[in-house]
Amino acid sequence: MLRQPLTRAIALSSPSRVAPLGARRYADAVPAQPEKVEVFIDDKPVYVPPGTTVLQAAAQVGVEIPRFCYHERLAVAGNCRMCLVEVEKSPKPVAACAMPVMKGMRVKTDSDLTKKAREGVMEFLLVNHPLDCPICDQGGECDLQDQSMAFGSDKSRFTDIHFSGKRAVEDKDVGPLIKTIMTRCIHCTRCIRFASEVAGVDDFGTTGRGSDMQVGTYVEKMFLSELSGNIIDLCPVGALTSKPYSFAARPWETRRIDSVDVLDPLGSNIVVTTRTNEVLRILPRTNEEINEEWLSDKSRFACDGLKRQRLVTPMLADSRGNLTPVEWEDAIVAAARAIQDCPPDKLLAVAGDLADAESLVALKDLVNRLGSENVYTERDFPLEGSGTDLRSSYLLNTKIANVEDADFVLLIGTNVRFEAPLLNARIRKAFIHKETDVAVIGPKIDLTYDYLHVGDSASVVKDLATGSSSHEVLKRLDAAKRPIVILGADQLKTQEGSALLAYTQELALRLQDKLQDKNWKVLNVLQRSAGAVAALDLGYRPGVATALAAQPRVVFLLGADGGVVTREQLPKDAFVIYQGHHGDVGASIADVVFAGAAYTEKRATYVNAEGRAQQTLPAVSPPGRARDDWKIIRALSEVVGERLPYNNLDEVRDRLGQISPALVSYGEVQDNNYFAQARALSKSLQKPVSGTLDVQLKQLEDFFMTDPISRASPTMAKCVQAVIKQKSSVY
Amino acid sequence: MLKVIARTANLAKTPLSRSLPAFSTCGARLSSSADPTSRREAPKLENETVLTLPEEAHQKNALESNITVPTKVDLTPVSGVPEEHIKTRRVRIYQPAKNAMQSGTNNIHHWEMEFDTRQRWENPLMGWTSTGDPLSNMKVQFSSPDEAIEHCEKNGWTWYLDVPKTEKPLKPKSYGINFSWNRRTRVSTK
Amino acid sequence: MTTRQAIQVGTKTVKPLLSLNSVEARKRVLNLYKAWYRQVPHIVKDYDIPKSEEQCREKLKELFLKNKDVTDIRVVDMLVIKGQMELKETVKLWKQKGHIMSYFKPTEEPKPKDFLSKFFSGNE
Repeated sequence: MLRQPLTRAIALSSPSRVAPLGARRYADAVPAQPEKVEVFIDDKPVYVPPGTTVLQAAAQVGVEIPRFCYHERLAVAGNCRMCLVEVEKSPKPVAACAMPVMKGMRVKTDSDLTKKAREGVMEFLLVNHPLDCPICDQGGECDLQDQSMAFGSDKSRFTDIHFSGKRAVEDKDVGPLIKTIMTRCIHCTRCIRFASEVAGVDDFGTTGRGSDMQVGTYVEKMFLSELSGNIIDLCPVGALTSKPYSFAARPWETRRIDSVDVLDPLGSNIVVTTRTNEVLRILPRTNEEINEEWLSDKSRFACDGLKRQRLVTPMLADSRGNLTPVEWEDAIVAAARAIQDCPPDKLLAVAGDLADAESLVALKDLVNRLGSENVYTERDFPLEGSGTDLRSSYLLNTKIANVEDADFVLLIGTNVRFEAPLLNARIRKAFIHKETDVAVIGPKIDLTYDYLHVGDSASVVKDLATGSSSHEVLKRLDAAKRPIVILGADQLKTQEGSALLAYTQELALRLQDKLQDKNWKVLNVLQRSAGAVAALDLGYRPGVATALAAQPRVVFLLGADGGVVTREQLPKDAFVIYQGHHGDVGASIADVVFAGAAYTEKRATYVNAEGRAQQTLPAVSPPGRARDDWKIIRALSEVVGERLPYNNLDEVRDRLGQISPALVSYGEVQDNNYFAQARALSKSLQKPVSGTLDVQLKQLEDFFMTDPISRASPTMAKCVQAVIKQKSSVY
Repeated sequence: MLKVIARTANLAKTPLSRSLPAFSTCGARLSSSADPTSRREAPKLENETVLTLPEEAHQKNALESNITVPTKVDLTPVSGVPEEHIKTRRVRIYQPAKNAMQSGTNNIHHWEMEFDTRQRWENPLMGWTSTGDPLSNMKVQFSSPDEAIEHCEKNGWTWYLDVPKTEKPLKPKSYGINFSWNRRTRVSTK
Repeated sequence: MTTRQAIQVGTKTVKPLLSLNSVEARKRVLNLYKAWYRQVPHIVKDYDIPKSEEQCREKLKELFLKNKDVTDIRVVDMLVIKGQMELKETVKLWKQKGHIMSYFKPTEEPKPKDFLSKFFSGNE
């Protein structure tokens, strides 16, 4: 996988793993840090910038101070008091999470006073915490459990002498994803801070004080956010747990497999938890360059769709047109016969949203060997100008992590919130912490932060690009030091798509040329699916309209479930081969169905919207007789008589590497160039535009079911129902 | 029959230890010191040294010497791992990911190797998880990826390194910005 | 995948297992081979296996030749030690008939080698 000699591997492994330069270059651009302060943590000296908290300074030397309310990605609350530490010459223990360091400060994180303080805090927390660990879903991965073992007292002084009982709080109903058992709440307020800072849905809060304090939504209300699942992770106790996963498994009986999400174009890193060949839940995995440690609800909860509507066996249409299960040999021979009988120019291959790079390259090689160039993707993209030849014109060139360093964001025809929730979270982070302003061209949508609405007609983009606009946004863009422009790829499927892209390129490049920071990239195109970039990289042609007009006789659908290819558009005797993992739109029109593997079942390469190749790892084996996707195509090629020259995954990846080394440099992302060339080629396309920009996903209920996996998921269906119900509620 | 074994074993035999009383002897002139007055008594010799057969002594000396071998070690002939599990398996060397449900990081500061996942199923008798893969639970921990790589190289496994991207610059956190009156970080809910 | 490109060149100095050089290691291997060879008639008789002496000698040769490309002196020594343990277990009748027969892998079915038959035959 890693194509590098050992020396490089050794360099990678040095104890302080350095963040790759590509992603972090801009963070350094802030003014030079003031002089560092020396503090002593357990007599170990450490130099930190002034203003750093004691807890962060301790983390620098590897001392982990226990905490409940503190979270490094949320604001400091300082209300759990678990992080109390002794500081020399301070009369009382201080809360390490909120206390800034001072010169020469001597912190004792393991002294008797510190231990006593922790013991006291634990005792207070446990007085009002139920002892229901055996029936609590957090059991085994609970911060309170672990810390009471590590730092709590060995004996109890809790005697309920008056039989008054422990504090009990009514449970709240916050929707179909999150189960609340509010009696277990220790009032760390992490969920409140997450909702108001990261999710941007300020619904949570506290009422009452002292032992009457309650965390809740004031009125009974669903937590209407696309990032709601993260508060389950944040909750240090079992007050907020996952409803679909409730009472399903204990953490010690499951296996965790690190993988990559494919349900949105960002390729968030995930951990797939499995037991007995079944995916139980999906959790986020920290990747600072993509998803930090968050995960969108669709990626997290749609995994129950992997068990429903699955294609578990190859199928063949019988004489009455009904698909009936057959052996692999029969299905492949039937498909091969159809392909052999078909003239090359009447053969069409269409790749869908969830196709991985390995099967894409295998399918393209097969079609090419058969003498055809008809490999298309479902999603459209203008081919005029530089088309898909230059990577920079269809990627998120700024890179996800750098978005938070931007000082002005212009969104053109995209609802980032639902198309790429974690990119929106980054923009919101910049909005809050860096005072970044956002402008939107497109319909008025709720992005969870305020923005400047410039209008919804495509001509606004033209005016901005040519500099003829009188809108204040043009001045803001011109004044910005690190502006970014994000264009939704959905806008490019119309007739005016090429002109819109040309104007966006013109605008972005005009801004980029003026910048002092020559490495800053302004132009971004946000793809809609996980398979889109790999398909374009491999040379698939976007948009099937022209190919369908040529009346193909054999159509190979590789997970094409977008409903772009329909029976009505095809000639009556057309033979449709569908390969995929779910019985969705594509399988319903097929004559032969090949059962493939879903993203949790194969080792496959996906390229995210930035152009970063990542691989999924098999967590479970494909159900029934389903097989790895590239192997099916490889087997088919042999039966057709055009044997593809690879027999194992390594050889397929060698082939991928031949086409583009970026496809096999896993985890890494390269900088894109040739912006000027793309701009020059698109100059002639700057025709007048008149349309209005509209987005497909406007409301939260549109977000949940967008692909075959989430459409098959009962949890996602429940979410849609709950959101619609909430909309009709008076609150 | 036994003679046969004895013969092959002979070369591999290690010196047997015998329990005889220690005695001193002047016969062995081990010390080359010129001044005899500096010696208080006759040098003491180990029983084993005196009683070993010449070839045993030779073998013992040989074992204390050094030999030169190629740096690249291939243990596959002696490791006993079936060939199909050496040739077809892929080892992932990684640092375990932090459990998203918890804050603590004490159990993730090492490197691990694991093999690719093969089929697992639920045992119909007890509901336990079964697998036909002998290497499915072989998760070995290392303190550095180099050690893991060396281990894999020795055993002939194809490996790849998966370096997590978890490093980020230190940004000082501040309690005060919750209350700053002119910034968006101001907290509205409590 | 060419991850194992990390070709290690050069030599290093280590403690020997048994032999100091390849000549000595070779002598040990030949000694072991001879010992096994002479043991073959006894094995056939003692274990009452449905194999002739010829077949056993052929198998013996095959098992030795499997490692003919091993050059590392320590690995050769370790193989000799293991082979000697096996021999001792055989001679002392610590093994049973099944253990001896397992050298011949009588129950193993050949697995398909080419891609297509692998694809059609199983979950691979």
